[in-house]
Amino acid sequence: MDSIEKTKPVGLLEENQIAEFIHHARELEHPRELIIDILRAIQKNHGWVPDEGIELTATILGLTPLEVEEIATFYDKIFRRPVGRFPIHICDSICCWTRGGEGVAAYFQQQLGIEFGQTTEDGMFTLLPSCCLGGCGRAPGVMIDHNFYGELTPDKVDRLLADLRQEVQA
Amino acid sequence: MPTLTIDNQKITVPEGKTVLEAAEELGIQVPHFCYHKELGAVGACRMCAVTVQEGSSKGLKMSCLIPAEDGMVVTTDDEQSTTFRDRVGEWLMLNHPHDCPVCDEGGECQLQEMTIASGHGVRRYAGQKRTYNNQDLGPFVAQEMNRCIQCYRCVRTYQDYCGGRDFGVMGSRNRVFFGRFQDGTLESDFSGNIVDVCPTGVLTDKTYRFKSRYWDLQEAPSVCPHCSLGCATIPGGRFHELQRVRSGENQLVNGFFICDRGRFGSGYVNHPERPRQARNNEQLIGMDEALRQLDVEARGLIEQHGPEAVLLLGSERTSLEANWLLQQWAKKLGCREPVLAAHGPRHQAAQVVAFDLSDRLASLEQVRGSDLVLVAGADPLAEAPMLAVALRQVVRSGGQVIVYDPRPVELPCEFDHQALSPLALLDFLTAGGSDGQHVRELLQHAESPILVGGADLLGVEGLQRLKKMSLELSNDQRPCLIYPLLSNPNSFGAALLSLPEQDDLLTRLETGRVKMLVCLESDPLLEAPESDRFSVALTKLDKLVVLDYLPTPLSVHANLFIPTRTPVESDGTFINNEGRLRSYAGVLEPGLPISVAEDGGHPPREFSTVSPGSDPLSASRILQILLKDDSSLVELHQQMVADFPRLAGLTGLTPSDAGVRVADAAARNVVNIDLPEQPVGTLQLIVSPARYGSDLLSRYSDKLEPRFSSAWVMMNSQDAAERGLQEGDKVILDTETGSFCLPMICHPQLAAGCALVENSAALASLVPGAGISYCEVSREVSHE
Repeated sequence: MDSIEKTKPVGLLEENQIAEFIHHARELEHPRELIIDILRAIQKNHGWVPDEGIELTATILGLTPLEVEEIATFYDKIFRRPVGRFPIHICDSICCWTRGGEGVAAYFQQQLGIEFGQTTEDGMFTLLPSCCLGGCGRAPGVMIDHNFYGELTPDKVDRLLADLRQEVQA
Repeated sequence: MPTLTIDNQKITVPEGKTVLEAAEELGIQVPHFCYHKELGAVGACRMCAVTVQEGSSKGLKMSCLIPAEDGMVVTTDDEQSTTFRDRVGEWLMLNHPHDCPVCDEGGECQLQEMTIASGHGVRRYAGQKRTYNNQDLGPFVAQEMNRCIQCYRCVRTYQDYCGGRDFGVMGSRNRVFFGRFQDGTLESDFSGNIVDVCPTGVLTDKTYRFKSRYWDLQEAPSVCPHCSLGCATIPGGRFHELQRVRSGENQLVNGFFICDRGRFGSGYVNHPERPRQARNNEQLIGMDEALRQLDVEARGLIEQHGPEAVLLLGSERTSLEANWLLQQWAKKLGCREPVLAAHGPRHQAAQVVAFDLSDRLASLEQVRGSDLVLVAGADPLAEAPMLAVALRQVVRSGGQVIVYDPRPVELPCEFDHQALSPLALLDFLTAGGSDGQHVRELLQHAESPILVGGADLLGVEGLQRLKKMSLELSNDQRPCLIYPLLSNPNSFGAALLSLPEQDDLLTRLETGRVKMLVCLESDPLLEAPESDRFSVALTKLDKLVVLDYLPTPLSVHANLFIPTRTPVESDGTFINNEGRLRSYAGVLEPGLPISVAEDGGHPPREFSTVSPGSDPLSASRILQILLKDDSSLVELHQQMVADFPRLAGLTGLTPSDAGVRVADAAARNVVNIDLPEQPVGTLQLIVSPARYGSDLLSRYSDKLEPRFSSAWVMMNSQDAAERGLQEGDKVILDTETGSFCLPMICHPQLAAGCALVENSAALASLVPGAGISYCEVSREVSHE
């Protein structure tokens, strides 16, 4: 436990979360199964996963930081750099593309004044391209905070951004 | 055994071989990157495409992935295959920098070869290339990620094969990165292998950076002199400097890989203080004069004082030939037979291996193929690193490794560890209570069980017990073989040549009848226990003669010093730990390297017909001169075989061979060893070799300095607590050799009742393999 105390930066995981993960890992034949769960918990608390989060995960699971980093960097929904309050995953796969996805993406960029991979100056939005989100029937679509928004038009995008801004102010 | 046709040629290959391997046997080179003989195929690079014209699945296929089938017809040079491979070549080159002239891999780059072979010459892609920030991977490996073609060979070698856990692959798609979590030295003891397997210049040898182009290097097949396993290496030298060592291939021994100690431990050849000229006391003399003086004085002393007056000391690191010639010289001089190893107990243990165990020795290949290995009294990473990698292969293929050793042994795989003190270990080997019974039952039921035994810790007694165990566990269906670990590259050879039960070095020196001691590539001050006793014995000599290639302390004391050649500067033979004759070829002529001369500045501007520092002769050549013998190496081998029929394998042996086993010997009488009684309140002393810097060659290799460890004494946490000691305390370690003031470290996995120290430059006077002995650890009394 000593080493966990040393690597635990404030705000990544709650004490009871750490205890729970350690308990759970002991019951598993392959504790590395829990990598994603722990990274997502850290991301939920902290917004993104800093190096200390990788090290904390490694310590909890008895792995090397590299072994955690291999998984963390494979998935584009785990953020290894700071992102805005709302990361917007814009689908760039085929169904959305046939239904005007490129136009929607361009509209997001124009409205927010940022390109893919960038965050707005107020720290509200980050634009990210994503592979298929499984919402093909409602293409073109984006995912924000685990919610899918489909059949997007410039109007709907305006309303969506306004709602999200309001949500933060409220 | 399927028979198939590749490019109109028929070949029959064993079941399970792939089309790529079958083509290779026919001499048809199918371009490939990700496939590697030892690592297998992953089908990642798409380079080895061929077309299956007839077979269960026709069309364009990756030849590394499809097994050869009977009646299959394959073409490698048809339009479809060549066009596909062209495209793949072009695609792999998309991001690759066109920087071959400044890339260290240039000239031995598989990507360069395959690109040229596939005919891709002009880049069509005009876009931006993908670039990376490189990491600092430590002193051994340089990284240049922009050149990466994502074959995954490095990570398959580092993680999968060698068990390293701090280097891997991150990211996905076109942004994968092969490296560490953060900058830092690669932790694995086998890190250098990723340099050998990288097909392009991403991972290169940092210690060899920008020294030579491959075609300017002199290379030859050699044998690693850093432990007793005898792994195949290919040293490369230029300008009298040994610039690098890469791994050779020997399927019976190391396979494809070597350890970092072998790869980066070559600095002793270029050591700035390496003695390169003969010397009579302070006066430098020529080689002819030195050999004349040696001959005349040895004869004179024997005439005057009798056969005891001259004592010849051979060595476990000198070649088999030199040790044998030393015996011949003794006969000619009329003095008593030479002692072939300074370290008496190690030498006796090696004799048990060379004689009593000779009919039941396993090869490292057999270890890799075993399903259950019991490691008794051995720490593979310290004593024989490539054994650790072999044990990993046992576990990878579903086998089990059980270690019984007092030390907190680490291995790059999962294993069971029981920490037993050296005395308890001996008991375990004979009876061992219920635990011993359980292990025996497991071994009984194993298909190909192997017992690994470290000669240093087990000693004569333990090895004999291991043999008894092996006899009991062997049955009609299969033997239970032994894989012993010895200390030096030719420990087995020196033991094989030695007369059994002769007096050891110190006993003979202390009679006072020895007037002249001739040490051939041996320094008992560093390589044997009881260096104090040896120092005293030295004062009784009239003359100390040292022949060596290392700047050892003894060479400084020598009245007559004669420089010899390192193994990379001479031809010779070692016998490895399992009795395999392994011959090596000289790579370089000796000489002062330009990088060392004049502090690395301009070479001397004097004209001379000989290069500076080129005096050293090989130990065997020196002895042949003394014997006035002009035999070639082949003739020498014939004489040796006539003298020692067990060495029959020497006939026709060449350095590129995998090596031949020596013939079995009749077992000798079992000698009972009395173990010293343990005084009350003492701890059992364990002296283990440090992973780096215990063998003399790596100790004199500057490249390995970052890996050298400091001196400490380790205790079990409970033993420490009983003595009121805490981690980091300065303690006094009282041993038979003397007292040492050391920092103490605690480890819960060290056997109770033991104190562990590591032999290295930092603690040179405690030498491993000296037998069971006891010590006390107490708090340092402050003088304030």
